Amino acid sequence: MNMNMLKKGDFLIIGIVMVAVVFSFVYISHYRKADNGAHKVAIIKVKDKVVKSIDLDTVTEPQRIEISGEYNQVVLVENGRIRFVEAECPDKVCVNTGWLSDKGDMAVCIPNSAMIKIEGQSQKVDAVTH
Amino acid sequence: MNNTKRIVILGLMVALALVLSIIESWFPVPLPVPGVKLGLANIITITVIIFYDFKDAVSVVFIRCILASIFGGGVTGFLFSISGGILSTVVMYLLYKRGSKLFSTIGISIAGAVLHNIAQIVIASIIMKDTAVYFILPVLLISGLIMGFFVGLCSGFLEKAIRNTKIFD
Repeated sequence: MNMNMLKKGDFLIIGIVMVAVVFSFVYISHYRKADNGAHKVAIIKVKDKVVKSIDLDTVTEPQRIEISGEYNQVVLVENGRIRFVEAECPDKVCVNTGWLSDKGDMAVCIPNSAMIKIEGQSQKVDAVTH
Repeated sequence: MNNTKRIVILGLMVALALVLSIIESWFPVPLPVPGVKLGLANIITITVIIFYDFKDAVSVVFIRCILASIFGGGVTGFLFSISGGILSTVVMYLLYKRGSKLFSTIGISIAGAVLHNIAQIVIASIIMKDTAVYFILPVLLISGLIMGFFVGLCSGFLEKAIRNTKIFD
């Protein structure tokens, strides 16, 4: 290839374009992250009223939250996940649901009319048909 | 220059640009991203810019876009190619007329190709009313850089060859 065809200004143009590429790449990947990685927010509802709303991504240390009601419960919150850890209800379905860590996950204690849900659209599918 | 000769040659240029567009559609596109293309027709645009004036360059681009969209591409195709085509022609003309000492056809072509792609993305985002199209900007910029380099190289060779034949003396 004939390298003496290139002139000074060409390198300037090439340089500008490369800078633009880097800039747009950085900007776009930052923007994408903010969109896809929006914080996981868990809400705790008792009798259909939101009692607490927690941004799971900002949790640094495990927290225990007590919920009172017909049956007392304890909710355990850790970074990125949440669960019912203790409950006085007879079935303990809520506790047995285990950790909620993805958007859309939820656990319910029907006797106590309490539930935890991580807001957002669930990205897992329940069923697929063809 | 004889006006008849000018008209004939410009007509030839339009035809050549169209043929190049058809040929480049035969090449497989390296990336399945909309807007990535060889842009071979720009070789013609640059040649017209070098040997003729702004009016002529714009006319050639305009007519080839119309004809290309008639042959296949439709009205949206026309909108996309004309927006990129006009913007890149204007800038390439300015770069050549003001800075042919600083810029070779390679640099001019890269500038034209990159701007052509940018214009197309802008039009796309307006039509789709969605800014998500900008996600492909880096890809298009790089593609413009590489394809522009190649087209500019060809234009340089063509320019030398044409000057040798002394058609325009």
